[in-house]
Amino acid sequence: MIERHLLKLRARDTVSPEEEQAIRDLIAEVRTVPADHNVILAGTVLTHSVMLLDGIMCRHKDLSEGQRQITELHVPGDFADLHSFTLKRLDHSIMTLTPCRYAIVPHERLERITERLPHLTRLYWFTTNLDAAIHREWEVSLGRRSAISRIAAIFCEMKLRFEIVEMTDGMSYNFNLTQTDLAECVGLTPIHVNRTLRELREQGLVQFRSGRVTIQDCDRLVEVAEFDPAYLYLEKWKL
Amino acid sequence: MARYYLHINNGGGYSEDTEGQELPDLAAARMAAIEGVRSLLSEEARQGQLDLSGTIEIADADGNILLSVPFSDAVELRRQDR
Repeated sequence: MIERHLLKLRARDTVSPEEEQAIRDLIAEVRTVPADHNVILAGTVLTHSVMLLDGIMCRHKDLSEGQRQITELHVPGDFADLHSFTLKRLDHSIMTLTPCRYAIVPHERLERITERLPHLTRLYWFTTNLDAAIHREWEVSLGRRSAISRIAAIFCEMKLRFEIVEMTDGMSYNFNLTQTDLAECVGLTPIHVNRTLRELREQGLVQFRSGRVTIQDCDRLVEVAEFDPAYLYLEKWKL
Repeated sequence: MARYYLHINNGGGYSEDTEGQELPDLAAARMAAIEGVRSLLSEEARQGQLDLSGTIEIADADGNILLSVPFSDAVELRRQDR
């Protein structure tokens, strides 16, 4: 059940058998929910964190007239809100973009890890820092990148993040988001996303159709995105 | 709510909307089209050019074109003659 989570952690550091067992013991319950389901509402007092097992979730904030900004996407193996362990309520909400299966991790069990297993504690601290790095990269996109470069950057990031948890098939992966979801990630309208996807397709860089991304020219896609995977901290991966 | 398909027809070619959006009515679909055009034009303006010659075609689930929204409906152009 936690195999993808272990793949994500082991792409950055070692996880001992004792730590692995402690991670398995974190899970209190598993839930299955449909797409467009609110997993956590901003402001709710929380006593558990959510580990995503299957599907795609997002962190988002909504403005008064319904405009939504998605601030990060989560893939299987991610904690969607490890930061709620210290924050106890979130300043943003978390929802599913596809049907999802997730594990409930009570904060008291995480607390025991912090008392017993300092290395795993540091590794979990690292993963919240990694989320912060992803947020910074998205901030740069929203503030400075062109439309085509923003969308190219998302496709590059998600390819790597799915690859780490062994969910890619060469240059393609399932990414069952709507163009509206994608628009909410990159701060554009669905129409603008549609037009930009056409440009990416016509330039022979990448296709996004029926919930699947197929990268046709990875080098040029990376160039258009100005994608530098340094922010994903993968120095140790595949060595 | 109904599903509306917002196809783009402009200088760069034709982009079919294969997914559509759930919207309350045709007026909301027209607003989505207007906002979409503004988003496209803002990017063009940053690159120093504006092409107002396109249209958004709003279609229903059966493919009937319900409304054609010219790009020029999305912005009011003001220009002082010297």
